[in-house]
Amino acid sequence: MTITTFKLNLGPQHPSTHGVLRLVLELEGEKILSCEPDIGYLHRGMEKMAERISYIQYLPTVDRIDYLAGCFYSELLCRIVENALGVELPDKVRAIRVMLLELNRIASHLLWVGAFLMDLGAVSPFFYAFREREMILRYFEKLTGQRMMYNYFVFGGVRKDIDYLGDVEEIISILPEKIDDYEKIITENPIFLRRTKGKGMLDIDTALNYAVTGVNLRASGMDYDTRRSDYLYRGFDFGVVILDEGDAWARYKARIMEMRESVNIIHQALEYLKISPALEQKLINPVNLKLPAGDYYAEIEAPRGLASCFVRSTGEDKPYRLKWRTGSYYSVNLLRKILVGEYLNDAIAIAGSLDIILPEVDK
Amino acid sequence: MISEIKALRDGLWTVFKHLFKKPVTLEYPEKRRELNEAFRGKLTVNGCVGCGICKRVCPSGAIEYKKNDEGKVYFYKFDLKKCIFCGNCAYYCPKGAIKLTKEYELASGDKNDLNLIYKGGADD
Repeated sequence: MTITTFKLNLGPQHPSTHGVLRLVLELEGEKILSCEPDIGYLHRGMEKMAERISYIQYLPTVDRIDYLAGCFYSELLCRIVENALGVELPDKVRAIRVMLLELNRIASHLLWVGAFLMDLGAVSPFFYAFREREMILRYFEKLTGQRMMYNYFVFGGVRKDIDYLGDVEEIISILPEKIDDYEKIITENPIFLRRTKGKGMLDIDTALNYAVTGVNLRASGMDYDTRRSDYLYRGFDFGVVILDEGDAWARYKARIMEMRESVNIIHQALEYLKISPALEQKLINPVNLKLPAGDYYAEIEAPRGLASCFVRSTGEDKPYRLKWRTGSYYSVNLLRKILVGEYLNDAIAIAGSLDIILPEVDK
Repeated sequence: MISEIKALRDGLWTVFKHLFKKPVTLEYPEKRRELNEAFRGKLTVNGCVGCGICKRVCPSGAIEYKKNDEGKVYFYKFDLKKCIFCGNCAYYCPKGAIKLTKEYELASGDKNDLNLIYKGGADD
């Protein structure tokens, strides 16, 4: 008897790949022998584009790096410019930014919960998650003018004073009970448990070797969250979700728990914003903005892992080189390792559990 | 076995509760949701003085303008095919001349409809 293996293309337009990811799987029967992710279908040249246009022209486009959590990337670019020019943010601007970042994180995690359950064949949670996400997007639209491409953070502050705080209050009062609802129908569901428990095991060593960060790393038992050392989050009291299991179920549970923590952070920001005076900020004039020559680096804990930005400036009005580090890129690479030895029907669940967003991978 | 039945019961109960709620979706072409003032849609220009800042902050190069011999703007073109509706031009306009309206249904059979051309300028 001879053992025959064959190759299978998963994607690039498979609905469960969350964008356009192509996985070339080598199979023996249904068992995966090797996996080769093929990326680049969504490449837009975000880094090269920065070398051609000025900082303020580049700012609206960075929302598109990760269209589910655009705030994080505008925050990074703003942070680079603010650090380079030595601008201190007032407390109110910090509170506004933290509130919007956390709302954005919840919206991103909600979409993930819906899409992940859709991967596993459950349809109702998808609609429930989208319904709650819609409330957050409506709020963003009211405040910033668009649902996903906010362009709200500017160098030195925010575009305009925060408003419609009642909406945020409503969102965070409804969310915990809705999350309870999800947990009720998902977390202890025997089908869900059987499809995720012990699947896609990721230990700390592998995770570190593959530079995986964010929820995926924390669900494997590593205590690493840059929010704790982040100056933006100074004064906020929040816990970091750490689970030890390291399987697909733990990654799901960690995201659910992280949403609750985000609600907690938003509560604190909201309490501050309600009593704070009108916004006073020193905006940096972006026309003719030149960064002093040198290297600049900024990082933030984005929903899909550590996101960072590196800029080398030669003193001109545009960067000499700009580099983005995005969490998903490393999660995609991890598929090479953790899909080996698993079965094809689990591959979707495992790939889904890593929260891969392809625009972020391809940039 | 018991846990399966319990999960089925909980799941169906959650779904059942939604049967009697109002739908959250809208039948789009017939019904439209209300947009608020901040919405970033199609552009309008009124009272431009031709400083050119909008062109310098536009990320996609969607703005073109020309000046006559006296330095007054006489030709202004917004290319909505290139526009990404970021709102930079409106935000940085020192005269508040550019506004983003609530109009968002921009599909057209003729691509020239998507070039917004304004002749004249400061004096109008």
